[in-house]
Amino acid sequence: MNNSNTAIEQTSSIKQDSKPTKKSKRLQKAWKYIKRDKYLYIMLFPVIVYFLIFKYAPLYGEIIAFKNYRLADGINGSEWVGFEHFRNLFASQEFYTIFRNTLLLNFYSLVFVFPVPILLALLLNELRGEGYKRVLQNILYIPHFISWVVIGGILIALLSPSTGFINYALQFFGLEPIYFMVSKFWWTVSFIASSVWKEAGFGTILYMAAIAGISPSLYEAAKIDGASKFRQIWHVTLPGIRSTIAILLILQVGKIMDVGFEHIYVLQNPAVSEVAEVISTYVYSRGIINLQYSYTTALGLFQSIIALILVVSVNRIVKALGERGLW
Amino acid sequence: MQKSKTEVFFTWFNIIFLALCAFATLFPFLNVIAVSFSSGRAINAGEVFLWPIEFNFDAYKQIIDDGQLFVAMKNSIIITVVGTALNMVFTILCAYPLSKTRVKGRNVILMGILFTMLFSGGLIPQFLLVGNLGLMNTYWALWLPSLISVYNMFVMKTFFEGLPEELEESASMDGAKDFTILLRIVLPLSMPVIAALTLFYAVGHWNAYQSVLIYIQSSEKLSLTVKLFQMIDLVSPELLDSGEGTENDVVLTEQAIRSAAIFISMLPILAVYPFLQKYFIKGVLIGSVKG
Repeated sequence: MNNSNTAIEQTSSIKQDSKPTKKSKRLQKAWKYIKRDKYLYIMLFPVIVYFLIFKYAPLYGEIIAFKNYRLADGINGSEWVGFEHFRNLFASQEFYTIFRNTLLLNFYSLVFVFPVPILLALLLNELRGEGYKRVLQNILYIPHFISWVVIGGILIALLSPSTGFINYALQFFGLEPIYFMVSKFWWTVSFIASSVWKEAGFGTILYMAAIAGISPSLYEAAKIDGASKFRQIWHVTLPGIRSTIAILLILQVGKIMDVGFEHIYVLQNPAVSEVAEVISTYVYSRGIINLQYSYTTALGLFQSIIALILVVSVNRIVKALGERGLW
Repeated sequence: MQKSKTEVFFTWFNIIFLALCAFATLFPFLNVIAVSFSSGRAINAGEVFLWPIEFNFDAYKQIIDDGQLFVAMKNSIIITVVGTALNMVFTILCAYPLSKTRVKGRNVILMGILFTMLFSGGLIPQFLLVGNLGLMNTYWALWLPSLISVYNMFVMKTFFEGLPEELEESASMDGAKDFTILLRIVLPLSMPVIAALTLFYAVGHWNAYQSVLIYIQSSEKLSLTVKLFQMIDLVSPELLDSGEGTENDVVLTEQAIRSAAIFISMLPILAVYPFLQKYFIKGVLIGSVKG
């Protein structure tokens, strides 16, 4: 015990003595590396400048959440108000509405949208004809590349109570026409369905690749044990894509505080704002249109912090369950 | 091979079910195309399903005469081409040095970049920054804030890391500098990832809506998406008032004009889609190797 203590003291005293020379040596060494790779650093220079200006400067700009930002005074000159904007935010009824809507729409996505690509991938994988499979896949990927504006336009046209095809079909079968875009329930259904329609096909790519990576010998073994098709899917395929599901789940949960602006903006209308006003659209209408910069920055900061906490915790949980996390 | 009855049933169910999924995916597009070529009477009577009824080009004639949609399309092409080129240059400049483990300070820089993906400043601080830099109402406001997608950068870095090191080693013994190695050896070997990321960036620019809505005010500079949304929201009366342009008694409806505008703006993507589909699958898969 005593021995080791003195040993530590000795080494630490040695460290202290040699510090100046070691430091300059380190600098020399670093300089040598920088000189050796100077072209690589020249490449990195504009990139670092970019990240500082366009990613880190806005982080500094977050301080206006604690100030009363006025254009004339600038970010630094505006007066500090502490947590006033946060107090106003949490005291307003609107905040709870948009917070609830954001969480609910994302929760529905998690339940109804997230599993669809998994199911589709399992079904596609069972197809035997390679050509047929490829044609189907290529059709299913198309909507991913089409903008929400176009998809919103198509959807509104299809669901229109006066000229939309869907309502003609309903009437053909003797049903009442539905005013999809102004009913809170049907609007939500349409919103979620449009997510499925746009992204489910594209989402299968990763799962298909994961399935293709499963060793065929596992299926052989399952067959020898007399496992039916469904048992094979349950006991071989699903466990084989578990880590892919885990990673995509982390990413999905990380987005739970954020409903993509464009998707909701093109489908929104005043009749359904009670369920369709979310954080991103609220920041746009209050911040950009009504110029309440500080107030909406406070809301944005709140949103970013929650999202960060969520991603970090889900990543930790996934790792604790024995899967590979995001980092 | 002995197959049970349920398995045979499942196989057929699967084939038919997936065909229905594919049809459901295509149907909205087909219906919009059909409506755009149909007469107002047929549209209002709800007769249009998969093919045009009382086929005519009137909606397209109106849009071509009006010309605004094509100005917006030209803008979108400029935004997409220049924006994507800038994206690719900067993504390569970022990913190549960071793919070399020998670069000192690499981990600090990587952490700094990863952090911006997990925690962002939000919309308003970025909006104020763009204003302060004097970029408002210029396309730089669309290009610069999204210059490097961190995710795409990591995809490219992963790809570079997978290239055989010996190639570069032999080149550096010849005295080739890093820039030359990058241009002559690394990039020609990286065509799959370059194609995939070019596609992702280009689609992002082409489909961008919010950034144009926020940063671009002049109506002659608006992109196709914003112009299209204006048309979907409100078909201008001049477009409907067709007068001498139309043949017979065919009445133009808002629906036909909207549908034609939608179809025109999808066309470029649908036209390049068949040529690019093998690249984007590759791009998605490279990205998944290492998150």
